[in-house]
Amino acid sequence: MTDAVVSIEGLSIDYVVGAGRFRAVSDVSLEVERGHVVGIVGETGCGKSTLAQAIPRLLPEPPATIGGGKIFFEGRDLVQVPLWKMPAIRGTGINMIFQEPLNSLNPAFRIYDQVAEAVRIRRVRETNGGSVVRAAGSGPFDYSRRPDPSAGDAWSGKVVPGGAVQEVVHRKQVDRETGGTHGEIAEEVLSYLRLVRINDPETILNLYPHELSGGMRQRIMIAMALSEKPSLLIADEPTSALDVTIQAQVLTLMKELITEVNTSILFISHDLGVIAETADELGVMYAGKLVEFGPVAEVFASPRHPYTKLLLRAAPTRYKTDGPLLSIAGNVPNLSRPPSGCRFHPRCPIARPQCKGDPGPPLAPVEGASANHRSACFFASEVAQMA
Amino acid sequence: MESAPSSFPPAARTVSPTSRGRRTWIAVVGFFRVLRANPLTMAGFVIVVAIGVAALIMIVDPHLLTRYGPDQLTTSYNLPPSWAHPAGTDGIGLDIYSETLYALPLDLAIAFAIAGTAMIAGGGLGLVAGFWDKPGTVGGYVSIVVLRITDIFLAFPSLILALAIAVSLGRGVWQLIVAILLTWWPFYVRLVRGETLAVKHLPYVTAARAAGVTEGRIVLRHVLRNVLEPVVVYFKLDIGTVLVTLSTIGFVGLGLVYPSQAEWGSMMSYYQNAGLITAQPWTVLGPGVAIFVTVLAFSLLGDGLRDILDPRSRRVLAGTGSGSITAAQPAEPPLPAAEAPAAPEAPTAA
Amino acid sequence: MGRSPSDLGIFVGKRLVQLVPVLIGIIVLTFVFTHISVANCAVWYPHASKSTLANCQAQFSKPLTTQFWNYFVNLLQGNWGASVAGSPVYPAIATGLPATLELVFASLFLMIVVGIPLGVMAAQAAGRWGDHLVRVFYLTGWATPTYLGAVIAAIFLAPYLGLPSHGEFTSNPPPFPQYTHMSVLDALLAGNLPWTVDAIKHLVLPATVLAFINMGIATRMTRSSMLEVIPLDYVKSARMKGLPEFWVMYKHALRNSLITTTTVLGVTAGGLLAGTVVIEEVFGWPGIGAYAYTAIGGGGAAPNFDGAIAVVAVFAVGVVIANLIADILYGILDPRVDWR
Repeated sequence: MTDAVVSIEGLSIDYVVGAGRFRAVSDVSLEVERGHVVGIVGETGCGKSTLAQAIPRLLPEPPATIGGGKIFFEGRDLVQVPLWKMPAIRGTGINMIFQEPLNSLNPAFRIYDQVAEAVRIRRVRETNGGSVVRAAGSGPFDYSRRPDPSAGDAWSGKVVPGGAVQEVVHRKQVDRETGGTHGEIAEEVLSYLRLVRINDPETILNLYPHELSGGMRQRIMIAMALSEKPSLLIADEPTSALDVTIQAQVLTLMKELITEVNTSILFISHDLGVIAETADELGVMYAGKLVEFGPVAEVFASPRHPYTKLLLRAAPTRYKTDGPLLSIAGNVPNLSRPPSGCRFHPRCPIARPQCKGDPGPPLAPVEGASANHRSACFFASEVAQMA
Repeated sequence: MESAPSSFPPAARTVSPTSRGRRTWIAVVGFFRVLRANPLTMAGFVIVVAIGVAALIMIVDPHLLTRYGPDQLTTSYNLPPSWAHPAGTDGIGLDIYSETLYALPLDLAIAFAIAGTAMIAGGGLGLVAGFWDKPGTVGGYVSIVVLRITDIFLAFPSLILALAIAVSLGRGVWQLIVAILLTWWPFYVRLVRGETLAVKHLPYVTAARAAGVTEGRIVLRHVLRNVLEPVVVYFKLDIGTVLVTLSTIGFVGLGLVYPSQAEWGSMMSYYQNAGLITAQPWTVLGPGVAIFVTVLAFSLLGDGLRDILDPRSRRVLAGTGSGSITAAQPAEPPLPAAEAPAAPEAPTAA
Repeated sequence: MGRSPSDLGIFVGKRLVQLVPVLIGIIVLTFVFTHISVANCAVWYPHASKSTLANCQAQFSKPLTTQFWNYFVNLLQGNWGASVAGSPVYPAIATGLPATLELVFASLFLMIVVGIPLGVMAAQAAGRWGDHLVRVFYLTGWATPTYLGAVIAAIFLAPYLGLPSHGEFTSNPPPFPQYTHMSVLDALLAGNLPWTVDAIKHLVLPATVLAFINMGIATRMTRSSMLEVIPLDYVKSARMKGLPEFWVMYKHALRNSLITTTTVLGVTAGGLLAGTVVIEEVFGWPGIGAYAYTAIGGGGAAPNFDGAIAVVAVFAVGVVIANLIADILYGILDPRVDWR
């Protein structure tokens, strides 16, 4: 396989709740290649958020447990890494942006403090200085393979003279941990804020999150995440809580950043349109399983799984004059008692008796499609002819 | 294939509503299931029940639990604990264990009387002050007056005020009850008022009003029912606090007179003044342990129930998921101390 | 926004002004309550001289309003009255109050340093045995009546731990002038190290008992507000930045949950002050708690009405000020609050 930033193999995640144990994610395998955007799509409750949060081991481990599988990141299996070592990998290795801009920024701290914290963490790790954040035994991250985020000369020039920056930020002069003066760190904060297309970022440095709009907050979140220069950025429904116009702005921004920053992105969404715009590859999840995976254009043009096909068909287009809206009959299964075999078989129009048998269909490459187009259906080739 | 459009609405099936008896049974079973999941609360519940049973026994037939009568003097003085006298005897020959048990129903009765009356009186006042508080109306003025008076009362540490009142009233059961009651009712006013304020703007109250339900009925059926739940939980915790307060007053020497009336606080006061505690430390065992265990049991029960019933901790203890907007709502900016809704914390007592 | 330093001045000022009517109400109420019943001079002062009894009788037979007016007028002139035996109230309170404050601050310090981290740990271990342990711990403190805890500590723990259980110093009076009447502070100011250590040793047990009993509220409040904050997205963001769990909890999460915890300060103050009455009596600490104990007639002493009123009023004022401080702290900590 080509150079994959993160490679998930057979990952399963269980939740142990008083009532019992249920498997939120079953045997999921996918890779995110360097510089690519992989989208994960699915209904609410299909396990995509759980998957996203499990990669950096963000799930609280007592109710959630990893029931098997591997997550390879930079040569290490993250499942085997003990939780206390994970902070060293988070931030500069894997970073994440969340759904609700209201809650993603700490309401008690100013914008400058929050973004500067991220910048300082990265500088500490780069310079091998400080001691708090680095886990013992882990080597420094190799940034030589990635170019600095160049936001274009128009943006990164010294637009504001250093004096104005000093005025706005009241802090001690030299940062003891990283050796950077607070002027340097302030400059960097400002450059990342400009990276996400915030004009006049000096004006917002001293503000608190509740004084800003949702779109602004989401940009700041993106800036904060990118300022640590992660190899992998996980975006957990970053635009779902924004209204459509702001959503469009943030998506445009993200697309531009993808080319500028060279971070690989794992984009979780329930919105097919958003994924179509931004992703290179697409994975479809249903009831905790990955049912299809492949290049985005190909999956949209010729889906090879009944669920994907029905999903695409159910998405309403501009207008419809010939009858009721299409839906998929039935309901999403209860994950504590999933259907046997293929989880979609109760609702599948082309189900056959063998679909019920355990184990269900594996995620296997489909013939007549690109090399990495896979589908978890025994009859993937018939889907094209499905009515 | 496309799914055929299903008929809507689905054909009606008649289902009879569950009877009240059955619903009560379900509630009881649910309660016990919840208890079993929380061992500490279960322990509290069991001990409270045991104490209640013991109190009943002491009233009906004391000799089931103890060998001695209420003021029966034995000839053994100042004995350390033994089988015959599980907590020893004091300087005049009373068996400490028996005296402690005799004090149990009295202490419980006083505590319940105080807390219950405070709950009803203070709660009623809080309900009125919270519900009819439109500024400019009669209710509004009454509400403000009640609030100001409550604030002033609340400024006093409850124990201190109760002591001050007890000084002028003298010693005795009724004096004790009145003294503590006068300091206790404001807590309930604030609690109930806070809850009423929160509830009265809920959509279904407005809907009931729009449907033409009279104000009185709204208060009784809708508002009260919602307010009752946190109040009852608070009440359970409060019994413990009242008990501690009343025994502290006894200890200071302003409560009942021992040994003519057995009460845990006055017992401790008696021992302290007689210098018995230093000389024979086991005398603490009787009333001290009794108070401690009783209050602990009520507190475990109340505290546990409070956690169980609090919808926020319930959701969190259930699992993950990113915090939703509702969870992120910050506490309201501080209203002037007078109007701040009550945090349902029990008042502290010395 | 409305959060400049001058705005803060207005914020505090407004609340101080609200203090005055409450203060007057407190004095009136205390007076009413302590003079509620018919004068019973013979019972109160069984060993007093005839002239004292006559004095008492004359004082209490006046109508209540006259009595109050006399008292109030005297108060405004700075005369806080005296006990029946004649010892003036004001000096007793002036020397006793700082000592009590020292005790209260020491307890507050312990409550914060122990209680809040316990609350954080309970929230992190929600529903599991760590949570249960913390709950048992603070409920045990809650369920112990102050006198029981004080007596047990003084009689059983003190010799076992080798800590003194009486007074502020081992021998009184100390060899340096007591400017502040706070034992540790005075010894420090005098530069007298062995006496400072001695003072601290004497402070340990009473402060610990007081803190242990009242810790429940702080722990509980911290725990529940942490439980609210921990699942929020910004905590996850902080974790994803690469911060170790300790900093995620104590810098990001706690900072927000402290906002609601400070509101509890007012309630805590009441409990602490009330607790000093018994604790000072048992431990022989010369503060206004002990003064209150005897003024109120504890242990069979003759009631000191003027003293009782003064002490109760001082306590009430203390609670009101604590609430005020909590209110102000809330306004400072929560950046969403507008000070104007």
